[in-house]
Amino acid sequence: MKLTAQSVKKDFPRASKSSNYFTAVQTLDFALESGKMVEITGRSGSGKSTLLNMLAGMLTPTSGKVFLDDTDLYALDEKSLARLRNEKIGLIPQGHTALLSLTVLENVLLPAILYNRQNPPVDRAKALLMDVGLEALMTAKPNELSGGELRRMAIARAMLMRPSILLADEPTAGLDNENTLAVLGLLRKAADEGAGVLLVTHENEAAQFADEVYVMDSGKLSTQ
Amino acid sequence: MLTLKNLPWRNLKGYAGRTAALLLFAALMAVAVFGGTMMIGGVRNGLDTVKSRLGADIMVTPESAKNEFDAQTVLLKTEPGYFYMDASVVDEIRSIEGVEAASPQLFLASAKAGCCSARLQMIAFDPATDFTIQPWIEDTRLSGNLGLLDVIIGSNVSWASAASDNLIRFYDTECNVVGQFAPTGSTLDSAVYMNFDTCKALIQACREKGMFKYEKLDADAIVSSVMIRVAPGYDSEVVADAIRDKVDGVSVATATNMVSGIADSLNHISGTIAALIVAFWLLGMLMTVLLFTLMMNARKREFASLRAMGASRGILSGIVVREALTVNLLGGAIGVLLTGVILFSFNRLIGESLGAGFVLPPVPMTALLAAAALISVILATVVSAWITVHKVNTMDASLVLKEGE
Repeated sequence: MKLTAQSVKKDFPRASKSSNYFTAVQTLDFALESGKMVEITGRSGSGKSTLLNMLAGMLTPTSGKVFLDDTDLYALDEKSLARLRNEKIGLIPQGHTALLSLTVLENVLLPAILYNRQNPPVDRAKALLMDVGLEALMTAKPNELSGGELRRMAIARAMLMRPSILLADEPTAGLDNENTLAVLGLLRKAADEGAGVLLVTHENEAAQFADEVYVMDSGKLSTQ
Repeated sequence: MLTLKNLPWRNLKGYAGRTAALLLFAALMAVAVFGGTMMIGGVRNGLDTVKSRLGADIMVTPESAKNEFDAQTVLLKTEPGYFYMDASVVDEIRSIEGVEAASPQLFLASAKAGCCSARLQMIAFDPATDFTIQPWIEDTRLSGNLGLLDVIIGSNVSWASAASDNLIRFYDTECNVVGQFAPTGSTLDSAVYMNFDTCKALIQACREKGMFKYEKLDADAIVSSVMIRVAPGYDSEVVADAIRDKVDGVSVATATNMVSGIADSLNHISGTIAALIVAFWLLGMLMTVLLFTLMMNARKREFASLRAMGASRGILSGIVVREALTVNLLGGAIGVLLTGVILFSFNRLIGESLGAGFVLPPVPMTALLAAAALISVILATVVSAWITVHKVNTMDASLVLKEGE
């Protein structure tokens, strides 16, 4: 499976009336293939997360198209796009994204219950939690977990539906070295198992896990 | 096991403080709407019941009894008493144009310590001419033929304290309690009903104890009041004026006068309660909307995360709407239940506090009012859920998630 961005560009309107908009992502092409782990690095505000959100089907580009194989994401209606994201794209957003009223195991199971699947894959969720080292915290509530543990939980949740594409936005931000390496190792493992993994990060250590590294600067993407 | 259906319930359990506040405001709205409409309905029902139980268009009493009998308040509060006039007024009244039927009644009051904790008003009717009490007896499915020393008691006459083995004692005379009337929310509920022969026997017993204040009167030649039904096509007020002109020594009150006290109370109470219903409902809805808006702000990362996981706008809307419906219907049901228990347990006390006849609406009407209260709560749910759904569906989930923690 291949995720492709063709001539995508993103402008945001400015709050001030002096100029109409600013360009977060300049017109660019990008491709992410199964089994590859690609890193995009760059300073804050360079447009990395904006690009990732466009690739995830979460943010409509101002121009250009995003394809998952032959499917034009933004040509789909909202319901179909959401369903496709649920089934094919695992998104690990920035920060903490847990539902505080649910246990860790239930948080991981969430993507599987959104479309009323009869039997949520509890065994797979438990296996993933074991992979990310959270088997002892399955019944804990998110507010009992550290920042690193919450990130690992988010990775397990993003991988539950066996997505073809895994998009991780700053998954190691604020983590100590040990947790950073653990998270990067998990993403590498996902790529090795066949997923296309896009990692947006500031971490220098990430490069050694990635197959390709891109740099984003002022909305322009270039190879390192 | 976690499912999409039980996710809203899990969210409500997870935010116990917020849920408790939402339950409280939903219950408050239901109490205001259900309690308020039940109170208005109760007073209105009381008025209708008293009107129908009064059964007469005009009531004539002795002019000399003015200090003991006030037509405008007699149905709401009155001390048991008795007064008499010559029985000949009945024929005089019958001869007046527009009078279709006239039936005398005879009053007596029980002694304070004779039978019960308080004095009771005794009202005797003439079975041959009565058109007010006997229909009431038939409505209550009791036998209309009261024998000597048979009595029917009003709903407020305490059966346990007043009667033993269906007997009630007045002036050392035992009477058989053959039935009890349904409430009217008026002083009619605190009376004991009998035929003329029983009343005369009790007057004699009272006299023998030296407690009858009109010693010289002949019980066979007196009446306390005359209940009058006006012939079709005649105006009660016109006929009442004719009686005032032609019959000496009587005081004449129309049914309109007699229920005017209750009607005035009804208007006053209805206005106040209607204002309270609106105020409490608006407050409840405002607080519900405010809490849902605050909830949205506090949980926008949760909703954005669900979008990232592939939840469509429809799924998010469903979660919000089910949360709102669950908490508001539960709160509304608690409010309705509590109000119902309080109203049915303390309806007499409420009637006394309101200073008006108070008869709770019948069960079907109560059920309708309860349903209306729940619908009013659902309306608040729709408004609060709509605002939240709108915010959830128009937010930029990618921006919310980029904002970090």
